[in-house]
Amino acid sequence: MILVVALLLLVAVTGLGVVLTREPRRQVLAIAANGLVMGLLFLALQAPDVAYSQIVIGSAIQPLLFMVTLASLRTTRSDK
Amino acid sequence: MSVLPYLIAGWLFVIGLYGVVSSRNYMHLIGCLTVIQSSTYVLLLAIGYHEGRPAPIFSDHPSGPAVDPVVQALVLTDVVVGAAVSALLLTLVLQLKKRRGTLDPDELSPERD
Amino acid sequence: MSRTARLVLFFAALLVAVPLGILGLIGLPSFGHHVSTYGDVVDAMGTDLRHVTNMVALVTFDVRGFDTLGEEFILFSAVTGVTMLLRGDRGEGTSADPVRIPHRRREGRSEAVTGTARWLGPMTLLFGIYVTLHGQLTPGGGFQGGSIIAAATLLIYLGEGYPAWRKIVRSVLLDLSEAAGVGIYLVAGLVPLLAGATYLENILPLGEVGSLLSGGLIPILNAGVALAVAGGFCSIAIEFLEETREPNEDET
Repeated sequence: MILVVALLLLVAVTGLGVVLTREPRRQVLAIAANGLVMGLLFLALQAPDVAYSQIVIGSAIQPLLFMVTLASLRTTRSDK
Repeated sequence: MSVLPYLIAGWLFVIGLYGVVSSRNYMHLIGCLTVIQSSTYVLLLAIGYHEGRPAPIFSDHPSGPAVDPVVQALVLTDVVVGAAVSALLLTLVLQLKKRRGTLDPDELSPERD
Repeated sequence: MSRTARLVLFFAALLVAVPLGILGLIGLPSFGHHVSTYGDVVDAMGTDLRHVTNMVALVTFDVRGFDTLGEEFILFSAVTGVTMLLRGDRGEGTSADPVRIPHRRREGRSEAVTGTARWLGPMTLLFGIYVTLHGQLTPGGGFQGGSIIAAATLLIYLGEGYPAWRKIVRSVLLDLSEAAGVGIYLVAGLVPLLAGATYLENILPLGEVGSLLSGGLIPILNAGVALAVAGGFCSIAIEFLEETREPNEDET
């Protein structure tokens, strides 16, 4: 039970971190941290299935997509 | 204690919304949107949790009362599909940068051709 | 609307919404004592009814299989949207040259990264397939397995670099796997109609509890979803990465 409470508070803090990190490149790391903590929380809530997908998606695939988008944004020249 | 998870879910929703409202960059806005999404996951799984009961997987222990599998199935599919949808949003950001050259919501006024 | 006005409106709305929200949240059953009969019934009867041990897979692919069909369509249309938007501007050509950014030195890839990725990539791929195949028995299934497989192919990108990755992971194959995944789900739902049952009804032989082929329709749907998810995420990644390449005039 203590584990669940601790992870819930961590989720609240890392969620706040995602919102307050205004610089997109740093925010990617905050998103990955939030995704990982969420995955651990789901594991503690007896949901191993959800934890699987949350850990893979939230801490690997989604940050990677954000990072690649940022890389593309650096190289796009606007039409105007 | 008995309402803490629900309050955390509410907290995540509110700060995510605050991020969306106060955002200066569409990339940041999509990050905040994922926080709002995650609030629903926390809420659903918290509702399904039952103290002292095992996970609803009966491969290593005999079947019996377990945590609610229905909400878990709902969250499970949404985690994966939600990531694909936020990829679609990221594409829109790329298009915006190409067409208008900016990512600040305040700098975008309706285009007059 | 200006930024200040937006924030003022937001906090004014919070003043009303937060008390109402807290009132609603307090009315929920207290944490750790859920009251859903639906979930309890599934837990109690699932194993006898469908010969599977993972109740979450049972709910996803059998009891609420029609919901999952909807989720598949959302995934499919999101991937189609990404592909159309990005290819619409760029065309279908591929290019091996990264865009040059002035004043930025390009570092080579270290051998340690390549070596680690060569070890981890195939093992992650194997693990993804394992998770998919055992979806009805242990935690896992098509959605998780598919995303693990996608992550494994991204490890190849990490280790070998983009041009080599493009040679190994073909865009056509990904499109095929995406379409085949959704197609398998649709057609597997139609088959029971021939036998006079309803759409997606599980009428196939159920097999023994704990065997790899137990659960009738569930392993088939699992495989379909895994194909769709893996193909979908890989093609999203390919389309995004292609954006960082220098346009190649020869191929288009």
